[in-house]
Amino acid sequence: MARLTVDNGTLVVEIEGLDKLWAIKSRIEIPLANVRGATADPGVASEPKGIRVGGTQWPGLITAGRFRRHGELVFWDVKNPAKAVVIELADERYARVIVEVEDPRAAVALVEGALRH
Amino acid sequence: MGRPRAFDEAEAVRAAAALFAERGYDGTSVDDLVQGLGVHRGSLYKVFGSKRGLYLAALRHHLDDEVLPTVAALTVTSGPAEALAQAAAGFDGGTSGGLLLSAAVGQAATDPDVAALVAEAVGALERALATVLREPVGSPLVEALGASVLGLRLRDRAFGPETSAPAVLALAARLAG
Repeated sequence: MARLTVDNGTLVVEIEGLDKLWAIKSRIEIPLANVRGATADPGVASEPKGIRVGGTQWPGLITAGRFRRHGELVFWDVKNPAKAVVIELADERYARVIVEVEDPRAAVALVEGALRH
Repeated sequence: MGRPRAFDEAEAVRAAAALFAERGYDGTSVDDLVQGLGVHRGSLYKVFGSKRGLYLAALRHHLDDEVLPTVAALTVTSGPAEALAQAAAGFDGGTSGGLLLSAAVGQAATDPDVAALVAEAVGALERALATVLREPVGSPLVEALGASVLGLRLRDRAFGPETSAPAVLALAARLAG
């Protein structure tokens, strides 16, 4: 599970609880200028993840860490696909960050709202 | 880094507009879009940023290719009666017909960018009607006729295409008289 906050022009993705262990990285900060959008996407978890380059994957249980596919590096922290949110980035190490959040609708509204300001 | 865009972006936007028009914003999942557009999920995110980004592109396309040309054609009609009949039959139509009205009652309430596109389309309609009626833009009569067009389109969506034809003809006859 991840918590998203927007602070001073920066989107902060904090990995909470035990997921910190699986995901390797517990906090990612992205300037809003490099955030292209956020989407609630329950179907994303059934996509092929690519090659794990750090972190943990127990198929059907948890996908956490860094994965490389088609030349893109993607950060994952998803246990429950129903609550997955895709955050698309530009000019960042990760092409996108895919995390599970408590309330996908609120998380998407937070990010998309922050991008409009 | 990343692959070249292996799909026709304009065609994808067109297909997305038709899907959003049919199912609404919340009723269209990313799975639906990936399947309906025939593009990879990664490419979709890479090009449009988010589902909202794609929706805004789809609505922009609907305005540019379907709504605004229909509106422009109103100004070369013979008068208010013909303009009303034409607008009532074709405003917010096309392959993604209804997308504008669904945006107006849906996403526009919470999304200022969507609200701006809706305002642009309705503004264009009212300007065209003002020209035809020879009234100043913003006159109550222009707004009433614009509201009639929107209402008639909504009514046809609810009760079936052209079920409002008698209402359009009655109003057009009054305008002509």
